[in-house]
Order: sequence, then C-alpha cells, then structure tokens
Amino acid sequence: MPSTDLLLVLAAAGCWIIAAGAGALARTSERTFLGLGLAAALLAAGGAAHALWTGHLSGLAFRFWGLTAWAEMDSLSALFLVPLQVLGALGLVYGSAYWPLPVGKGRGVPLRCCYALLVAGLTLVFVLRQGLLFLVAWELMAVSAFFLISTEHDKPEAAKAGWVYLAATHVGTAALVAMAILLARRVGGPLWVPAQGPASGLDLAILALAVVGFGFKAGLLPLHFWLPAAHAGAPSHVSALLSGVMLKAGIYGILRVSSLLPPVPHAGALLLALGAFTALYGAAYALAQADYKRLMAYSSIENLGIIAMGIGLGMAGRAVGDPALAALGFAGALFHMLNHAAFKGLLFLGSGALLHATGTRRIDELGGLAKLMPRTALAMLPGVLTVSALPPFAAFASEWFLYRGLFAGLLRGNPWSASLALPALALTGGLAAVAFGKFYGAVFLGEARGPAGAGAHDPPTPMTWPLAILGVLCLALGLAAVPLLPLLERALSPLLPGTPIPLSTLLSGDLRLFLVLQLLLIAAGVPLVAWVRRGFAEKTSVPPTWDCGYAAPTARMQYTGGSFADLWSALLPGIRARVRTPRALFPPPTGFHPTQRDPLGLDALEPRLAQLADRLLRFRRLQQGNLSVYLLYVLIALLGVFLWMLVRAWMRG
Amino acid sequence: MLHDLLIALTMLTNFTLVATHRVQKSIQVAAFQGVLLGFLPLSMGLWRHTHVLLLAAATILVKGWLIPFLLRRAMRQVQIHREVNPYISYTLSLMLCALGTGISLVLAHNLPLKPGDAHGLFVPAALSTLFTGFLLLVSRRKALTQVVGYLVLENGIYLFGMLLVEQMPLLVETGILLDLFVGIFVMGIVINHIRAAFDSTDTLRMAELKD
Repeated sequence: MPSTDLLLVLAAAGCWIIAAGAGALARTSERTFLGLGLAAALLAAGGAAHALWTGHLSGLAFRFWGLTAWAEMDSLSALFLVPLQVLGALGLVYGSAYWPLPVGKGRGVPLRCCYALLVAGLTLVFVLRQGLLFLVAWELMAVSAFFLISTEHDKPEAAKAGWVYLAATHVGTAALVAMAILLARRVGGPLWVPAQGPASGLDLAILALAVVGFGFKAGLLPLHFWLPAAHAGAPSHVSALLSGVMLKAGIYGILRVSSLLPPVPHAGALLLALGAFTALYGAAYALAQADYKRLMAYSSIENLGIIAMGIGLGMAGRAVGDPALAALGFAGALFHMLNHAAFKGLLFLGSGALLHATGTRRIDELGGLAKLMPRTALAMLPGVLTVSALPPFAAFASEWFLYRGLFAGLLRGNPWSASLALPALALTGGLAAVAFGKFYGAVFLGEARGPAGAGAHDPPTPMTWPLAILGVLCLALGLAAVPLLPLLERALSPLLPGTPIPLSTLLSGDLRLFLVLQLLLIAAGVPLVAWVRRGFAEKTSVPPTWDCGYAAPTARMQYTGGSFADLWSALLPGIRARVRTPRALFPPPTGFHPTQRDPLGLDALEPRLAQLADRLLRFRRLQQGNLSVYLLYVLIALLGVFLWMLVRAWMRG
Repeated sequence: MLHDLLIALTMLTNFTLVATHRVQKSIQVAAFQGVLLGFLPLSMGLWRHTHVLLLAAATILVKGWLIPFLLRRAMRQVQIHREVNPYISYTLSLMLCALGTGISLVLAHNLPLKPGDAHGLFVPAALSTLFTGFLLLVSRRKALTQVVGYLVLENGIYLFGMLLVEQMPLLVETGILLDLFVGIFVMGIVINHIRAAFDSTDTLRMAELKD
C-alpha cells in the first residue's frame, strides 16, 4: 500500500508533538523523552527511506477547517526528511548530555520541548501541500526555532540574536503568505498542484516572492544578517539542527515552488549568480571570524550559496529544455544538501564539545586541544576535510556534480552566469579550506594560547557517538556516490516530470574512476600513517612542541587564528588589522589586533534601521491622544470605503 | 406603513440629537430613539417569531429605561448639564447631519445589496444614524455626550441588523444588547472616576494620558 509511508511520517510528526508535550512537563524523565523522540525519528526515517528506495508517491487528502487539504510524500520530500530525522535523533542523544535537565537554570525543559516541536514542524513542512497548512507548519518551525535560539536569553547577545531572527523570519513569512495567495490564484485552489499553461508575469512574481521568503530562511545574500548570531548563540545541538536542516527548508521551498510553475526564463541564471555571490561571501567572511561557531555559521551561508547555485543551474537547464544540465544542477544541489547536513551537523556538534570542555568560543584562546581531547579531534577531522571539499569525502563528490554542470552550461546554456559561477565555486572551495585549516590548526594543534583549555577533556559517551556516526557518514557519502545516483534520480523526478534523467549515464563513469582512486588513496594512506606513527612510537619520549633549539619556547610564538587568516582576508571590506610596526633598535612591545565587520551584516544594517525609525517618528503626529480625533479617523475610513464602493459600482455601470 | 413612519421619526430624532445643548435632553432623545427602534420589529408584522418579540421587549427595556437611568445617574454624579463649546458648532453639526443623511440616501441606492433589501428606508436610515453617532462622538467634548454618541452609533447598527432580523439568532442580538449595557455601565463608572481624578470630564484633558 503506497500511502503507508506517508502515514508513518505523519505518525512520526504526531509522535514528535507528543514528545514535546511530554518534554514540557518537568517530571517526565530524560529516558522517556529520548525514547519518544527516537521512536518518532525511526518511524519517519523508515517511511521516508522506503519511499526513497521504491520511488512510490504517497498522498493523503483530508479536510481541515472546511478546506480541502493534501499531504504528499514524493521522493523529493523523502530526501529532505531522512537527514532531518537522522540529525534530529543524533541531536536528541547529544543534547541529553550537552544540556541535561538539572543544569542551566531549569532551561532544559523548554529547550527539549521546543526541540521536539521544531522537528515536528519541519517534518510537516516537508509533506504538507496546501498553502494554509504549509504556512502553519512553517510558523511552528520558525517560532520554536526562536525559542531555541534565545535559550540563553540572559546573555544580551543571545537575546538580541533571537529577536533579530524573529523579525527576519516573519518578514520572510509575510513574503510567503503573499506567495501562497498568488500561487493559489495561479493554480486555482489552495492545493499545491502543478500549474498549467505557459509562463507569465504572475509566475515570475510568485518565484520572486518565494526566493525572498525562503531566502530569508536559507540565508541567501542580503537576507543572511540574522544567521551568524543566531547559530552562534543557540545551544550547539540546536545549531546543528538549524544549520543542517532548517536552512534546507528554505531550499526545499524554492525547489518545490519552482517545480509547480512552468520554467521562467532567466530566473535560473539570476539564482546561479546570487548563489555564487553568497557562497563566495560566506567563505570569505568565515575565514575572518574569531569565534568558531560564527565561523561555522558563515560556512553555512557559503554552503547554502553552493546549493542555490545548483538550483539556479537546474532551473536554467529546465528553462532551455536541457535535461542533462537540469539533472546535474538539481542533483548537485540535493547531494550537497545531504552532505552539508552531515558535515555541518558534525562540525556544530563538535564545536559544542569544545564549548562544553573549554567554555569559550574564541579561537585565539584555545590551542593544542588534540592532546587533551583526542577523540573529538579525530571525529572532527572528517568534517573539516569534507567542508574543504577534499576527496574522498562527501562534499567533493557533490561539488563535482556542480563543476560538471557548470562546464556543460558554459558550453551550451548560459555562458555569462556559468563563467561567473565557475571561478566563484573554485575560490569558495579554497577559502573554505583555509578557513577550516585555520580553525582546526588553531584549536587542535600547537600549544594552548590561554588558560581556557587547561582542564579540557573528551565529552561523555552520548556526545561522542553522534560525532563518530556523522564522521563516518561524511566518508561513506563520499565513497557511496555511485549507488546513490539512482536515489538522486528518483528524487529529481518531481522536479523534472516527464523527462528522462540521464544522471547515471553522465556521472557513473567519473564517479567510478574517483572511487577507485580514492580507495587506492586510502589503501596507500593507511599503511603510510601507520608506518609514520610506528616511527614515533619507537622513541622513548615525546618532546614538547618546538623543542628544537629554542631556549624558552612559548605559546605566543605560534600563529594565532587571526594572523593566519589575515594573509587571505586583508583585502575584504570591513576587515581591519591594527598593527604597530616595530621601529628603532629596542622596540617596545607591539601587537596585532584584527577586527572584522560584516559589510552586509547586522552591524551595517542597524544604523540604517535606526535612521529609518527616526524618520518614521514624524507619523507620531497622528497619535494625538484625543479620542475624538481617533474616531474621526474611523469615520474617514468608513466614508472612504463607502466612496470606493460607489465609485466601483459607477465604473461597472 | 407603520414601520416607515417609525424610521422617519428615527431620522428626525437624529437632527434633534445633534442640535441639542442640554445633556438631559440628549439622553431623553436617545432613549426615545431606542424605544422607537424597539417597536420597529413589531411594526414590521413579525409577531409570530417568539425571539423577535423577546428581542423587542429587551431592547425597549434596556434602551428605554436601563441605559437612560445609568446615564442620568452619572450626570447627577458629575454635575454636568450642558455641553458647552463643542468642537463643531451646533449649526454646523446640523448641516453636517443633513449632509450625512443626504449621502446615506445616495449611498443606499448604489450599494450592492440583495434585491429584496434595497427598497425602503432601512439602509439610508441605518447609515444616517451611524453618521450621526460618529458626528456626536467626534464633535463633542464631554465624556457623557460621547457616550450618547456611542449609543446612537449602536442604534444605527441595530437598524441595519433589522434587515436580517428573521434570520439572526437571538443569541447574537442579546449579545449585542448585553455588550452595549455593560459598555455604558462601565463608562458611567469610569466617567465618575475621571472627574474625581482630573476634576473635569473634558476629554481633551485626557490627551495627557497618551504614552
């Protein structure tokens, strides 16, 4: 029975809501809550995986408040549901040790309640296909995320991040409401079914509103300002879920809406350029961050930009009727979405372990943690290598899809956008590698730069296991690209209905070659590492770092994160380094102080908003404080309405 | 025929209301208007509906006795007998009221109503009473006369509701009536307290309360 899959997913959403209700009671034990959440995740992941495996489409029509409603799970929804449930379950296990109930001023109870609500909302977002219900699920997700972000609301930074997020998400929702209304007019009903007829101006308006509304969630460029502070301020398992899945809800929305409309010319190329700009910007400013959670948040912007590039390429391919281009673009976006959920989940959970152990988010206070936290260091290595898009890890494979698609686009479809995007993608990969090289090198290698990391130790088992699982996934997704191809083809079928998807024929040759090379690399690398380590083990003692001839080595001799990044990021706008160059024979002590400011971020936005608020103050004159005047406004409005009706009646004859 | 007469009388009371100086008289006229409207459903020959009968009785009781009683009590407590110096002079109010009545007549003929409702004086009378209520609310200074304006405004809405009196459930009508009664009850108390606190019931003084 095909609709069993959907029923499983809906039951899982219900189970998450029950878990939220149970979690809201302080007397519910950690174990009960965990059990409910894991059961829900298992149900939904099972349903979605089955739907993805068989390619069945399961739908359910029902009535809700007198309106017809439609829930449907196709393989596209299923592809988004699987990482959601996996990351949701891992975050749940991780959170039970990261933020146990007794600590944190009793915030554990609302935290776990909102966490379950967020997962429930996201689950529903991916299956509901009716404008109104979709928006309700969307708001459930958005509002529970607000409470999660402002968990530590006694810190002014986290409280502000929460409010900025709330304002941003609601502006996005306003655009989505308009989009849903126009879409209902376009398809002739509230249900989200494919629109008939050729593309028109209305389609362009719907798509533009969708990109704005969903772009707020996905952090596409000028709309990303809420993202870094929100991800840095939230508890780490929440950041993992926000970055790994909630941002993808924006991507899902853009994909879903564009799949309902006929192809709009030029929209794909514009989205491709926007994605390229976002990716480059995110990577460049990730490099400049001094706070490792903010660094990861900027890296999320970068990766969402890469995904948007894929979607843009796919839409461009769809518009020119080139199935190969469309398949490469959309498949690259979807595969990268999957990979980003794995590696950014890993990185945020790992940074939670760092925060848990050291209590600081500043890279320049840490150092040498690989000795104190060897398991965390080992588990985060695959994440760092994946985000840098290095083989044999997962992001290399997904970016390969995009490179292939962009080269194909260069030859056929959109030369200007593809020629813009290709160097942007390459530069993005390089900058991301430098940014995470800075992070990993400064935090785990070298010597401690401050007292913060002195008592650091590996986190307890419930926090280590999720890291290990995600680390293995990062490698496995990279190696299993060939068997994943049919799954991706199935997930693409709702986006490219009625056209054959030539993904296997296009890519299986490349990917097989890569697989062989990667296996050879691993086969050669593992003995090499073992041999090198054996050499170390033969020595009787391990000397401290830099014991080779320095009389008094100190941790201040090493590069800091800031000075390392300055080599690459000095030219970016908003980045300054204050250096006093030593002069004269006996120079006084000098220093290097990098500061960074996001030129499109909140720091730049706030003065302008304050200015606007000042201008709007002149409307205060309308508020006289006199009841008669207010009633006069009502009377004028009433007369205006009557007048309008008269004029309308007169115009209609 | 009888109901046309009642409606015409209602429209005439509107003119009396905007032209009167004395608070005592405006309360009286508003009560008279309420009683007229209470008799209206009976004059339309709707005897057979029990709920319409109940409603008429309740309207006459509340608008003809209870509310005027409350207003008079409030008037005695605050010792206000005249509306002096309104925002809009009485002559101008009278002209505006006439203009409003004219506009209502024009509007009623052009509004997209159901064919059955378009005839008769109901819609123009409802609109003109509505405008009169607004005029009183906007132009008068004393809180007590503003309450009278509110009462007249509600009468206009009630008149509009007459179009649907057969279909409208009793619960809705009684709800509106209860709402009105409680509103005026509370306003009576509030006016008294305002006078105790500010030594005036001139609403202009309350502009100091804006945030």
